[in-house]
Amino acid sequence: MKLIWLNIRKIKLFIFVFLFLFSFNISAKENPNWYGNIEPITSQDWDINKAKHLLERAGFGGTPEEIKFLYNLGLSKAIEHLVYYENISVSEMPKFNESDIHDPGLINFPPSRPATTKLAKETGEALGIKVKESGNRKLQPIVNKFFFWLRASRLETKRVAYWWADRMISSPRPLEEKMTLFWHNHFANNETKVRDYRKLLLQNETFRIHATGNFRDLIIATAKDPAMLYFLDAGQNIKGSPNENFAREIMELFTLGVGNYEEKDIREAARAFTGWNTNDLEFVVNKDLHDNESKTILNKTGNFSGEDVIDILLSQEAASKFIVKKLYKEFVNENINDDIISDYAHVLEQNNFELKPLLAAIFSSKDFYSEQNRGSHIKSPVELVISTYKKLGLNNTPGVPDFNQSTTAMGQTLFWPPTVAGWAGGRSWITPALLMERGNFARSFLYPDIDFIDKDFYSPDPKIIVMHKAIREGADITTATKSSNGGDSMMMMSEANMMADRDEDFNTRYGSYRGWQMAVSKVKPIIRDTININFTKMVLDSGAKNTSEAVDYLINRFLTVKINSEKRMMIISFLNNNLGTNNIIEAKTYLEDPLKMVLHLIMSQPEYQLG
Amino acid sequence: MKNIKRRTFLKTASAASIGALTPIKYSLSNESINGKILVVLELSGGNDGLNTIVPYGDDNYYKHRPKIGLKENKLLKIDDYFGFNPGIVGLEALYKEGKMAIIHGCGYDNPSFSHFTSMAYMHTAAPNSGEEYGWIGRLADHMAPSTYKNFIVNVDKTQSLAVKSKMHVPIVFDHPERYQREGFYVQKNVLNTLVNSNNDYDINSSREFLNEIANSANQSSNLISEAWAKYTRKVDYGIDAVDLDKIAALIEADLPTRLYYTAFRDNAFDTHVHQNNLHTRLLTYASDAIRGFISDLERMGRADDVVVLVMTEFGRRVPENTSLGTDHGSAGPMFVIGTSVKGGHYGEIPDLVNGLDDGDNLKYTTDFRSVYATLIDNWLKVDSKNILRKNFQTFDIFDRTV
Repeated sequence: MKLIWLNIRKIKLFIFVFLFLFSFNISAKENPNWYGNIEPITSQDWDINKAKHLLERAGFGGTPEEIKFLYNLGLSKAIEHLVYYENISVSEMPKFNESDIHDPGLINFPPSRPATTKLAKETGEALGIKVKESGNRKLQPIVNKFFFWLRASRLETKRVAYWWADRMISSPRPLEEKMTLFWHNHFANNETKVRDYRKLLLQNETFRIHATGNFRDLIIATAKDPAMLYFLDAGQNIKGSPNENFAREIMELFTLGVGNYEEKDIREAARAFTGWNTNDLEFVVNKDLHDNESKTILNKTGNFSGEDVIDILLSQEAASKFIVKKLYKEFVNENINDDIISDYAHVLEQNNFELKPLLAAIFSSKDFYSEQNRGSHIKSPVELVISTYKKLGLNNTPGVPDFNQSTTAMGQTLFWPPTVAGWAGGRSWITPALLMERGNFARSFLYPDIDFIDKDFYSPDPKIIVMHKAIREGADITTATKSSNGGDSMMMMSEANMMADRDEDFNTRYGSYRGWQMAVSKVKPIIRDTININFTKMVLDSGAKNTSEAVDYLINRFLTVKINSEKRMMIISFLNNNLGTNNIIEAKTYLEDPLKMVLHLIMSQPEYQLG
Repeated sequence: MKNIKRRTFLKTASAASIGALTPIKYSLSNESINGKILVVLELSGGNDGLNTIVPYGDDNYYKHRPKIGLKENKLLKIDDYFGFNPGIVGLEALYKEGKMAIIHGCGYDNPSFSHFTSMAYMHTAAPNSGEEYGWIGRLADHMAPSTYKNFIVNVDKTQSLAVKSKMHVPIVFDHPERYQREGFYVQKNVLNTLVNSNNDYDINSSREFLNEIANSANQSSNLISEAWAKYTRKVDYGIDAVDLDKIAALIEADLPTRLYYTAFRDNAFDTHVHQNNLHTRLLTYASDAIRGFISDLERMGRADDVVVLVMTEFGRRVPENTSLGTDHGSAGPMFVIGTSVKGGHYGEIPDLVNGLDDGDNLKYTTDFRSVYATLIDNWLKVDSKNILRKNFQTFDIFDRTV
């Protein structure tokens, strides 16, 4: 199918058909009764705009050719293509290319720098490095390695995010990636706590395997993944004195929601999960630490295991509604009504928590295609970036602008959700500053920074840089630390900065500086390519002859919610002024930059945030 | 077919005005703005109050916490009952200078042990209710008309529920240097022009929301980025300024903002495991930042205009867990800090034996809204009943200057 999309002569034809259908359909008003109605639409209702809406929501949008392809499949085939994707091969999708930064000394990485140095002092070794027999700074190599791993895992996790972004753009199963992203937000683990890219990569694979599978299987697999076990302190949860963190979050955030259980249910459930732990990347149950006594959870009593608890939770009426509500908010509308949630919860229960029938029902429903639910979704930063690149027709994520920096500036960093509740989503994606960042993002790939610096690779921290210079010039560690604190120029010295060199066995700031150097020596670099798109060709190939047609083509290609006629006129006259004519064929030799500016204007509109 | 509703040119010649922040005149229709500024610093994740202000004079503290209880000789003692966590040298200094009020045992009835629920209660000042707006937002609605722009600043990536307001759109940003629209000179006019098309707002409320935010962005971005560009940090805020330096920059630039909100973000204080080193480090960062902020305000001669409220969503369980950490609890101390504050202890000190509920959590001795009411009534001089719905006891903590 990709070959068809790449066939330029056919594309031209498609676009004419596309534009024709588009202008034909724009005036069609849907039946107002569709909102809230979960009955499927009929094949007569199917049109190119609905295909566009479907691809936007069940995937990350696409080029006019991709939308046309989906439209041509017809309603039921289109949904089958997106939801029942097992037969679409992804074997050619590249595996993550690891940097080889881990070694056995890093297994059971201590919880903090003080815990590391304490271990070293007590045992004579930590992180696979022996304490020096004598001399100054005996623990320095260990402290250096501690900071090395923090930095290296962080850098590698950013590479995992890049790899995933490429996959979101190029996977022939867009819903699989979209649901993987959904689960990453639902079971939101953060690298800062997990501190091991390997665990997050494994978890990402788990989400993908179960992306649209069975919700129960997914929860069990996720609960047994080392990332989650580590993130919610499951390893600390032992017979006699359970740690409630995991039990609380599984009820509050993963299955039921607040108000559907009591504190005592959490305490009892925690007992059932006692002994669950990891042996590096493997799940283990430590039988000696598992509480084998009877527990009472949500009015059920027995000697329950962790899996039993998950079954008890899923048997609650609240469970199906809870997850359906979250899916509905993500895929249909932030505004919900209880009836439709109950209806879909029923679908999920009837299908024994299989997700595909539910998703297919949502994507076929009149409700999904109702006027109220189209163009109502505020895209997450990751969706915005991926859908932008997809609509541009890219096959991979550019290196400049940096994918992670772009999404971070807009409020989302893959593998760094802010809390265990994930990103709040919806309107919380938008603040005045974040809205501006979204416009600036468009500019950043249209006009790549020639002074781009990867701030994870090259430290922007002035303390580290001052230290680096002092060390390079031969200063001793203590002197270098003092100068990095600003010397005598500061009015007062903070406690934290004074502590940087308080222990003569090691210096933490030097450790963090050397750890950084060691990390950038080992982690593979990200390729810093930029987009290379010929917008002149794109617009001329569409058949556009004048500035109005050019602007309309770009609006149709990139926007789901149309800007109003006044703004459209403003952009057309902007293009006229910059070209000195409204004839784009006449102006084609200098059309490129003005078109980029137009695209930046379009992508800076509030409407561009909607999908 | 399409209605042209409104056209507004919101910014003009922004490129030329760098470095020359035009004085802004606000016609205040409301007498209730007294020039005082409130800064809220949230310690998200549930700060362990007992290991912050340690009751080392009570043996029961060590009984509850045999492993993670902080030893007397490590503490920064402030009297013969309490000692500060060794990491908060900065706060100790402020306390000893008489600039820090500790209000003990802050909490509420039927406490939630969920971070998100409890924080929402703190944000709305309305536990166990469905209040839609935040207490800072309601305060703004009461203090200033919607024509008063930029009354609330929330330094954060995303907007806090605490600042959600009916009439005001808070300025929310976290990187002031980036809070600008980038574009070519020729694009500026179109970029900065907002066209409202409210013909489909009844169908698509997301669109209306986005237009409102775009409006606020156009109005505030130059103010913020220019204030930040002019600011030079002259005091040490430590490792992480928790955005208090950004607030200092805006105060120095004399923004009309009266309510500032920032947070030590991302549930950082959620210390279930091996908490002591981590907790001390977090407290050090927060304490260094607060001390830096107060010093910075003193440097610019604005210290008497500002107080800082330090809060969290809940304290932690009184007994330690087996992971050398603590689980979610209930009541804990709040701090009010500033040169106008009469330092010392306020509120009843919780009893570590009889003051525990069945779940080993502290029963609160001070409704946290008493602290809010103290700030609203006695600092901002607004009747707190209008914001908090009823009267709460207030503390006499400002008699130095007010």
